[in-house]
Amino acid sequence: MVLEATMICIDNSEWMRNGDYSPSRLRAQADAVSLICGAKTQSNPENTVGILTMGGKGVRVLTTPTTDLGKILACMHELDIGGEMNIAAGIQVAQLALKHRQNKNQRQRIIVFAGSPVKYDRKVMEMIGKKLKKNSVAIDIVNFGEDDDGKPEKLEALLAAVNNNDSSHLVHVPTGPNALSDVLISSPVFTADGEGGSGFAAAAAAAAAGGVSDFDFGVDPNIDPELALALRVSMEEERARQEAAAKRAADEASRQGKEEEPLSNSQDATMTDNTNNTAAETTEKTADPMDEEKSLLERAFAMSMGTSVSDTSMADADTSKATDEDKELALALQMSMQDDTKDPSNQSDMSKVLGDQSFVSSILTSLPGVDPNDPSVKDLIASLQGQPEKKKEDEPPKDDK
Amino acid sequence: MSAESTTAINRSIVDLLDFIDWSGVECLNHNTAHSLPNAIKQGYREDEGLYLESDADEQLLIYLPFTQVVKLHSIVVKGPEEEGCLIGPKTVKLFSNREHMGFSNVNDFPPSDTAVLTPDNLKGKPVVLKFVKFQNVRSLTIFIEDNQSGSEVTKVDKIALFGTTVETTDMKGLKKIEDNH
Repeated sequence: MVLEATMICIDNSEWMRNGDYSPSRLRAQADAVSLICGAKTQSNPENTVGILTMGGKGVRVLTTPTTDLGKILACMHELDIGGEMNIAAGIQVAQLALKHRQNKNQRQRIIVFAGSPVKYDRKVMEMIGKKLKKNSVAIDIVNFGEDDDGKPEKLEALLAAVNNNDSSHLVHVPTGPNALSDVLISSPVFTADGEGGSGFAAAAAAAAAGGVSDFDFGVDPNIDPELALALRVSMEEERARQEAAAKRAADEASRQGKEEEPLSNSQDATMTDNTNNTAAETTEKTADPMDEEKSLLERAFAMSMGTSVSDTSMADADTSKATDEDKELALALQMSMQDDTKDPSNQSDMSKVLGDQSFVSSILTSLPGVDPNDPSVKDLIASLQGQPEKKKEDEPPKDDK
Repeated sequence: MSAESTTAINRSIVDLLDFIDWSGVECLNHNTAHSLPNAIKQGYREDEGLYLESDADEQLLIYLPFTQVVKLHSIVVKGPEEEGCLIGPKTVKLFSNREHMGFSNVNDFPPSDTAVLTPDNLKGKPVVLKFVKFQNVRSLTIFIEDNQSGSEVTKVDKIALFGTTVETTDMKGLKKIEDNH
């Protein structure tokens, strides 16, 4: 929540026409700038941001540091391309603009987008850096675009001259599928903001990444630690249960026949509907239907966990949330989903499950002593084909056993 | 010259350390490992191992606001005395009541006073200032322009300010007096 005045130096030289950062280097910069402005103002409402362009006929200040995001975004629209980037003049004008900021209590920061070659030599860059350091101005350099020899070294020399206690950063953005803004979000340019800024950045990152997640349950422990913890705990509980129930399942399978299994699996099917499981593995069931429903929630979750490598994190979150939050709510959810399939009675469970060929097949195949190629088993499966609802909902199944 | 001047009825020269408003203190171009409190704060400034050091070049700009209006009489600036290490400050310019100065505008207006420090001063001899220029000081800016040997880095062991307070009402004290009645 550092109170800060920022000047952003945009490179609008001819090199920015290039499309190696989509849609063009200039628009990629514009997107990044809007994100930065948002993050700065969110982390502290008194933060100000100003923009200047380094290319064109000469360095031009578009807005002096202001809290008005609208003004900044309006300026971004009017950018045009031309000329050469003059980085030294750009930084010096930025420093001057910061010096004349209205609120002298704000810290000073310059963010430079260095996309075209740097024509100044190291000495000049170091001197500029020293001057910035003397006046306690921090700088963030975004190195992208052109990569001629010497440019990274010059920018590093500038950074080394300015850097005071790691308040300044240099970020290299290579060309590639990731947009300029996405790379910046995870860089110190954003995350150095502190608590408030990083929240904004993390949310933006989650939105941008679209559910791709490295974390176990598709939930970022940083964003939602309680949910991640609850998921982990329920997962472990479920594992313990599964082992115990697996033994029972083997015993009961022969006794109760397939009616119990389909019933239990229907619950699973409805719960995992969202997850597009077509070949779920079921290994157990419970004897009592009422208990079943509760345990099935957990099992469904386990199933979705067990099979999902490519499942969306949204789905995981859904099922897990049902497990966590309110089992009754989840049950009600289930009921309503079952109601949708037009059979309001218990029969709906059965018919659904019987109609879910994939589930039944997989259950049967997972039972000891059952061979899916056995003609009697095949007849059984064929007989289930009469049930319409489940088949419409599930994609064509593939036996994976 | 007697410091206890005739106009002061009950005031004597005191160390103005207590009247510094720490929330507004700023120092430009200092090395973060060797920062301003080392030179000013009680206890720190007596410690020889703790000093204020400059960073990018030899100049330092120190801004000290006060909690109340003071009159500044003299200043003590101590620097390292070793023969081979004469990097204590030499030219010190003082500006009163100028806020948020930067290195670029130190030369824009004349200082309230300038002190050229000798090695004696660096040992602790106070420099008496032009009292008339410092009658109504709300904030003081100390600009250390260069050092004794012209080296890249300036070191300051201690900075102490001496003066008197102006008759201003201390609101906390007011209540207390009421109670006594």
